[in-house]
Amino acid sequence: MTDDASPLLAVEGLTTAFDTDEGELVAVDGIDFTVEAGETVCLVGESGSGKTVATESITRLIGSPPGRIEGSVRYRGRDLLEMPEPELRTIRGYDIAHVFQNPQEAMNHCYTVGWQIVEALQIHEDVPDAEARGRAIDLLDRVGIANPSARFEEYPHQLSGGQKQRAMIAMALVGDPDLLIADEPTTALDVTVQAQILSLLDELQSEFDMGVLFVTHDLGVVAQIADRIVVMYAGKVMERGDVLDIFERPAHPYTRRLLECIPEVGGSRKGGIPGTLPDPHDPPAGCRFAPRCSHAVEACRTGGQPAEHAVNPGQHASCVHYRSDMDRSVLRDGSREEQPAAGGVSPEDE
Amino acid sequence: MGFGTYVTARVMWAAVVSLIIVTITFLLLAAAPNPEIQRAATQAALQGGDPAEAAERARELRGLDEPIHVRYMDYLQSIYTLDWGWADSRSQPVTTALAEGLYYTAQYSVPWTILTILLGPLVGVYSAANMYSWKDHLATGFAFFGYAIPNFFFGIILLLMFGVWLEVIPVVYDTSVPVFSLANAIQLSIPVFVLVTGSIGAVMRVSRNESAEFQHADFMKTAKAKGVSPLRAYAYHVMRPTLVPLSTTLVGQLLALFLGSSLLVEVVFGIPGLGRVTYNALIAQDTNLVLGSTLAFTFVAVVGNLIEDLVFTVLDPRISYDDR
Repeated sequence: MTDDASPLLAVEGLTTAFDTDEGELVAVDGIDFTVEAGETVCLVGESGSGKTVATESITRLIGSPPGRIEGSVRYRGRDLLEMPEPELRTIRGYDIAHVFQNPQEAMNHCYTVGWQIVEALQIHEDVPDAEARGRAIDLLDRVGIANPSARFEEYPHQLSGGQKQRAMIAMALVGDPDLLIADEPTTALDVTVQAQILSLLDELQSEFDMGVLFVTHDLGVVAQIADRIVVMYAGKVMERGDVLDIFERPAHPYTRRLLECIPEVGGSRKGGIPGTLPDPHDPPAGCRFAPRCSHAVEACRTGGQPAEHAVNPGQHASCVHYRSDMDRSVLRDGSREEQPAAGGVSPEDE
Repeated sequence: MGFGTYVTARVMWAAVVSLIIVTITFLLLAAAPNPEIQRAATQAALQGGDPAEAAERARELRGLDEPIHVRYMDYLQSIYTLDWGWADSRSQPVTTALAEGLYYTAQYSVPWTILTILLGPLVGVYSAANMYSWKDHLATGFAFFGYAIPNFFFGIILLLMFGVWLEVIPVVYDTSVPVFSLANAIQLSIPVFVLVTGSIGAVMRVSRNESAEFQHADFMKTAKAKGVSPLRAYAYHVMRPTLVPLSTTLVGQLLALFLGSSLLVEVVFGIPGLGRVTYNALIAQDTNLVLGSTLAFTFVAVVGNLIEDLVFTVLDPRISYDDR
C-alpha cells in the first residue's frame, strides 16, 4: 500500500458540502494540496474561508451526513475518504493527530487529564495501565508541563489554557504521528503562551519528524513556522507557494490584501479588506474574490474560479491576470511593489 | 476542605435536618388535643365521675404532666431508639406495622427504581443520538404519555385489561406467594410497569436534552479525532457528563413518585405496603402510626437528598467543597 513516491498527504479535489435549510452550502470547493513528511504547510485565510472544514474532512471528523465529502485524500497512498470507518479509526489519533483551537472545551471536564491521554493511547495500543500511565506522564513532561505526575491526576479545569493546550498536544503525540493537523492551536491563548506553544510545536516537529498542517488566520504565526503556504478564500485555493515567495512576492490580489492586514511595528496598518465573504449559498460566478478585488476585470466575473497559473517555480495563483494572454502589469498598484519573477519564468511554464 | 470532610459535614447536616423535623412533629403533637384524654374524660362523666380528675389521671398515665423539656427528651430518645409506640388500629408496635408495609412496598419499589435509573438515561441518550428520527419521536411520545397519564388511572386500565379480561394477573395482590417466585414477578409486573412509565419520562427527557448538548461538544470531536468509536464516545464522553445534571433531577423525581404514587398504586392493586398502612392509619385516626409513617417517609426524603448531594459532588469534579 505504502508508496514511497507519493506524498505523506495528498488532497485532490476535496469538496465538502452541507445540506442546510437554504440549500446546499459548499464550504470547501475542490481544493488540492499536499503535505510532505517533516514539512509545515499553513492553510491561511480569513474566518469562514473553509480552512477548518477542509482539515476536518481529511480524517472525516465531519460526519456525513450532515456533510458530503468528495474528492480524494490520500495518506501514504491510501484514500481516507474511501476507507471504512473502523479502519480509519486506527489512523485517527495515531498516524494522523489533531490539535484543536479551543483547549478550554476540547477536553472532557469529567475525566482527569491523565485518563484522557491514556484513553488515546489504549485505543490504539494494548498496553497495561501502569505502562500507559508512565508513557502519558513522559509525554506531559515532553510537552513542557511541570510536575507531570501531579498534573496527570488533575482535571482540565485545574490547568491553565496554555497547560491544557500542551496536554492536548501530548495527547496528539501518543502514537508518534506522521501528520499533525493543528487547527488554530494558539488562537485562544494569550500572546506569550502562543509563542511558547509555537516553538514547542516546532521542536516536536523535528523530533518526531512529523508533517504538520497548520491552520491559521494569523500571518505572523505563518511567517514563524511555515515551509509552504496555501491561501484559501471562500472554499477555494487562491494561491500557494513557499513561505518566502508568498511573503516577498505575493501574486494573488487577495494574498496581497491579506498581507497588508498585518499590523506593522509602530501601529501603522494599511487597512483591512473592504467588503465581506461572499454568500456561501450563492458564490460569485467567476473568481470568488472578484467582488472585493480592486483589479477585477470582466474576465474575473465569469467562468468559475480561474485556473492556477504558475507565477514562480512552486508558486501558483488562481488569478486571470497571470494567464499568458493577460497583462499582469495591471496588478502593480504601488501598495506593494511587484518584483519580476526570478529567472523570468513565463506564466504558463509548468 | 477535602472530600472526606465534606461528606462528614453533609451527613451531619442531614442529621440536623432530621432533628428539626422531629422537633416540629413534637411541637405539633404537644399543641394538639389528645383524643385519648378527652375520651377518658367523657367516660368518667358518663359514669358519674369527675371528668377533670379522669383527664388528669389519663395525662399522668401517659407522662403528659411532666415539664415540656422532659417530654421532649423522652420523645427524642424513643424516636432515635425506634420505640415509636403502639399502633392501636393494628394492635402491634408501629415499627412492626411499618416494617410489614415496607416488606411489600420494597418488592415493587426496588425493581421500578432500578429500571428507571438504568433505562431512563440509556433511552434518553439514545434518543439524543438519533434526534428527530422516528426512534426519538417514539421515545418522546412514550415519555410524555407516561408523564401525562395519572398512575392510578393507568393502573386501573391495565388491571382491567390484564386482570379482568385477559386474566393473566390476579385482580387483588396475593400476599401468600413467595417473594422470589414467578407468580410474584407476574403480579408485580403491572404495578412496576405503571410506576416506571410514570418516572422514566422525566429522566428520559432530562437525559436527552442534556446529552444533546454534550454530543456536539468540542470534546466529542477530540474523542473522535483520538480514534474513539461512536459507542465508546457515547458511553464515556456523553453519558458521564449527562449524569451530573441528571443526578439533581433523578432523586427528586423518584422521591416524589415514591411518596405520592405508591399509595395510589397500592390502593389500586391491593398491595398492603407502606402507602396502604399510612392510608388506613389516617382513616382509623391512629396517631402513633400516622406519625410513624410520616417520619419514615421524611427520613427517606432526607437520606435521598443526602445521596443526591454526595453523588453530585462525586460526579462533577469541578465542584469545590470549599464554599459550603
